[in-house]
Amino acid sequence: MNSMQQIWDDANESKMSCEVLIIGSGAGGSPTAALLAEAGFDVLVVEEGRWVEQGTVAPFSLDQMEQQYRGGGVTVALGLPSIAYTEGRCAGGGTEVNSGLYRRPPTEVVERWRDRWDVRDLDPDELMKTATEVETDIHVTHLPGPASVPSQLLRQGADALGWKHDESPRWMTYPDGNPRHGQRQSMTRTYLPRAAKAGARILTQCRVNKINISHGKATYADISLANGQAGRISFKFVFVCGGAIQTPAILQRSGLRKNIGQTLAVHPTVKLSARFADAINVPDDVPVHQVKEFAPDLSFGGSASHAGLIALSLLDQWSDFKGAIEDWRNMAVYYAAITSEGRGRVMSVPGLVDPVVTYRLTARDRELLRSGLSRLSLLMLEAGATEVYPAFRGAPIVRGRKDLATLQKRFSANKASVMTVHLCSTVPLGENRDLCGAGSYGLVHETKNVYVNDASLLPDAPGVNPQASVMAIAVRNARHFIAQEKPHA
Amino acid sequence: MALAPSLHSLVHSTAVTILQHDLPGLPEIVAQEVATFTVRRLGVLAAHMRLGVAAIALLVRLFASIAGQPRLLWLSKTHLPLLGEYFRLIRSLSYAYIWEKWPDTRSDGSPA
Repeated sequence: MNSMQQIWDDANESKMSCEVLIIGSGAGGSPTAALLAEAGFDVLVVEEGRWVEQGTVAPFSLDQMEQQYRGGGVTVALGLPSIAYTEGRCAGGGTEVNSGLYRRPPTEVVERWRDRWDVRDLDPDELMKTATEVETDIHVTHLPGPASVPSQLLRQGADALGWKHDESPRWMTYPDGNPRHGQRQSMTRTYLPRAAKAGARILTQCRVNKINISHGKATYADISLANGQAGRISFKFVFVCGGAIQTPAILQRSGLRKNIGQTLAVHPTVKLSARFADAINVPDDVPVHQVKEFAPDLSFGGSASHAGLIALSLLDQWSDFKGAIEDWRNMAVYYAAITSEGRGRVMSVPGLVDPVVTYRLTARDRELLRSGLSRLSLLMLEAGATEVYPAFRGAPIVRGRKDLATLQKRFSANKASVMTVHLCSTVPLGENRDLCGAGSYGLVHETKNVYVNDASLLPDAPGVNPQASVMAIAVRNARHFIAQEKPHA
Repeated sequence: MALAPSLHSLVHSTAVTILQHDLPGLPEIVAQEVATFTVRRLGVLAAHMRLGVAAIALLVRLFASIAGQPRLLWLSKTHLPLLGEYFRLIRSLSYAYIWEKWPDTRSDGSPA
């Protein structure tokens, strides 16, 4: 794949051109690139981050954050509380660094998007057929054997309480049949090689600063390379696929602002560490079981849990919790995620390279976080945890059900370490011009050739991991584009 | 990255002071390494966050030079917005680094 990175050097000039420019190589940009290249379009994919081969950095490590995340993994939506989030910044985007869990969007969610945002021809059955194709392409599958111990503990706790749970499939292959030896089928393993095979060019470490648009028609993008060299890429069509933060920022810098970046939706999460009598820690993987008893409002699952992340989860009440860190092999981190009714904003500010992001939780969100953390603590006790350490300032150590009342009493979202990895809805698609930044197939309103095709398009948070929704909609939109534009290409 | 040298002068000694207080068993040389790592990671934050961190760090350094180290430690336990988040950011990066690199470090920072 390294040859893909040589495009700009080979060009040896500050100007390039293509028929379709795709900005971003994540879950939206990569399938778009593959389908358009295979349909015969001249495609150029530009990616701000580097190409990092899988296996060259430890999963969920600080080294990975430095190499593959924006801002070294420290990015924050300002607010009370501020919400930490992460964005992949590498070839393949977030698909290279996330947990690889896969959930189709619930039918009722797709129907809600179609009806409330007036998304033309968004048929749930058709979208599920598209999802099935995606699942084949990226090898979505269940574990070939027993889940890890932290995952089984989630299931055991849910069983004891009679709560619904299931195993989330992942886009992985297991070459030797060992469930511990999964190989992530991310974009650098699937759609990007497909795009390259079909003739697409892929240029990494290339940042798009602005798209130049006149009378609704975009003609070229101003870019800069990692070495500081500036350049220009001219095109006939452009797809902005930089994710829910960078896509609206690029559009705003290009002068497009109506319903762009005003409705950021996330799944806020709060965490705890659970300590057991025996060694259960799995440093380099995440549990696949999720508890869905209270979905879509509340979901429970497991997080990456190496010793550094255990220390982080104990940090808010370190004076009382610090002793537990010496027992990190007996511990794992779990989360409660909510479907938020709050909204955030992405604002590109002149003079600043990065957009300012804000998010405001509603009173209902705060209560859900409180009840979520309490129920998750109960789940862990039922799973056999001897002690539970909720991640908020002033938290008690939960050793039994009697401590849950204290937890509930002391909890405040403002004292908690709230974070999210699911960001969407900053350029919602649909025909409702009061709500939507783009049309039913991603064409940005008021433009003739500027498309969005990533998580930004989801009208609101789906209540499940959004990657399946993002990919299915991206494939749907790419096919519509091919049907519309190929005859003229 | 242009701000990295000034961030170092603003944050490094504060980070070392906090680490030596929170984790009294942490060897001096390790505290220095951890603080260097923390400053380096602050240097790759988004531009507006980097500017915010630099501004708060400057105020904290001024406060420490006037009020002394014990007051700095008192200040580091504050939960005020922005100020509290500044100290939390230092601790987050530092603790994550320590226990990722040396997972058997004891809770007082001393080596296993």
